Amino acid sequence: MARLQALIQGVLRALLWRALQALLCRHRALISAPRVRPSTWSWIWWLPKPLANRGNPRRSPDPHLHPHSHGYPHGDPALGAMHPGLRWHLDGRTLHKLPVHLGLLITELEHSFSDVASIVVWCVAVGISYVSVYDHQGIFKRNNSRLMEEILKRQELLGLDCSRYSVELAESNDKDGLVLNCGSAVQVLSPEDGKAGIVRAAQDFCQLVAQQQRRATDLNVDVFDDLLRSQGFPDPDLVLKFGSVDSTLGFPPWQIRLTEIISLPSHLNLNYEDFFSALCLYAASEPRLGK
Amino acid sequence: MSWIKEGELSLWERFCANIIKAGPVPKHIAFIMDGNRRYAKKCQVERQEGHSQGFNKLAETLRWCLNLGILEVTVYAFSIENFKRSKSEVDGLLDLARQKFSCLMEEQCFLNVCFAYTSRHEITNAVREMAWGVEQGLLEPSDVSESLLDKCLYSNHSPHPDILIRTSGEVRLSDFLLWQTSHSCLVFQPVLWPEYTFWNLCEAILQFQMNHGALQKARDMYAEERKRHQLERDQAAVTEQLLREGLQANADAQLRRTRLHKLSAKREERVQGFLQALELKRADWLALLGTAPA
Repeated sequence: MARLQALIQGVLRALLWRALQALLCRHRALISAPRVRPSTWSWIWWLPKPLANRGNPRRSPDPHLHPHSHGYPHGDPALGAMHPGLRWHLDGRTLHKLPVHLGLLITELEHSFSDVASIVVWCVAVGISYVSVYDHQGIFKRNNSRLMEEILKRQELLGLDCSRYSVELAESNDKDGLVLNCGSAVQVLSPEDGKAGIVRAAQDFCQLVAQQQRRATDLNVDVFDDLLRSQGFPDPDLVLKFGSVDSTLGFPPWQIRLTEIISLPSHLNLNYEDFFSALCLYAASEPRLGK
Repeated sequence: MSWIKEGELSLWERFCANIIKAGPVPKHIAFIMDGNRRYAKKCQVERQEGHSQGFNKLAETLRWCLNLGILEVTVYAFSIENFKRSKSEVDGLLDLARQKFSCLMEEQCFLNVCFAYTSRHEITNAVREMAWGVEQGLLEPSDVSESLLDKCLYSNHSPHPDILIRTSGEVRLSDFLLWQTSHSCLVFQPVLWPEYTFWNLCEAILQFQMNHGALQKARDMYAEERKRHQLERDQAAVTEQLLREGLQANADAQLRRTRLHKLSAKREERVQGFLQALELKRADWLALLGTAPA
């Protein structure tokens, strides 16, 4: 009798748990599209106010910022007539602060090269100097040249002035990078560049120690940081995480010690407004650095 | 558990805890207990009072964790960066910590307090230890691996945290457990730490449960990749070995297998020897700390 009771209780518990999970999944799906979440999901403090309007009177959700739209925005033919590249550049200038290095972290299983390329182009146009693209399966890294082609294609499609935005492929040692002539650089990362990168740097240092060129006590945080520095990229100020997985999934851990992590539901068909909203959110944040 | 706050869960809390336990339960949670100072400002009390409330909240949270079957908790109490605060605040915090943590030794669950800690220092220290191992002739540079680095961290006796929770709405890791949390569920909650509730904790665990499948899959995939890479490196080392001996690299599959096995067995021997020496070194250092004048 007692065993039967325990069995019934166990089944009820499991059913209630499944019901709760299903409810939360549904709730999460409802609140996560299409606006930016400054943290992972939390129904307790979800803010319905469009972030694009906050603190920035000029900004308003403008469908004509999308590169493939046509027509004029409400009330301002001048803005509508403006080249999107210039518009994005001006948008960047309106922000109180811009990340110097922005990381795109794709946690989704589906990967869209064209959508990621669009986001990279927006980053560069807005004035971000360094952009990294990361996914934990290494798909973008293995197809690095395809991504680079998409980026160049997008720039051509937008008719961005070639003399300003012409592209040079960076000298690649262990990473394939792209230096865009407007002063921005793009790199593609995978788990190989995360902990495995730290291990390689550690092995290199230990090799020097074995050859008696260095001593163990020579190693400090700054020395190790120099060993890890990649292609002159500074640490990312901001990582935009796409997808519903709440983890960095091996994104280079050393470099993200002070990085703001902002979540977006998906990189698939992401529009410029939502991307820019994330930048606005970043601009409003204040790093306190222990103080 | 004398100092962990007394008081069972309410009926409703116990009911919800039971439902949550139907799903996967985390074994180890890490907390960045942020928001003590903002709480003090909000309640118009001294910063010290904010930290004291924060500690009380920690005691309460540990109680909830025990009730939920979570037996290991790591907290970020004090970073090297925090020494940038005023002298009186730093002294106050150190006194509070000394007071409150003095009775920890007899407890059976594990509470890890990261005190004057940054992850970069921890990782660098682990690499320095391995370099020391090379200097001592205990290790070869090629023995350096992710799993060995893991064993040289301060947290080597703990599993990686399943969840990292940061309160107060900040969405940064702030140099806390960067290595250990690369596949953990990150939960950023806007509540200030002294106002943390049982429901906030449940929310975090539910989030972990929703991510559990995807994270497990990602972790397994990552582990497979690491194993494959290690095997490739070992194969390359065996090839080099055979060529050096003037033998054909592809000749005998059995010979290759034997060499491969011998290579990894020797490495394992070196690693064990190094880890034992490291353990002794640390024990000596701790003993020295204990005898140092106060």
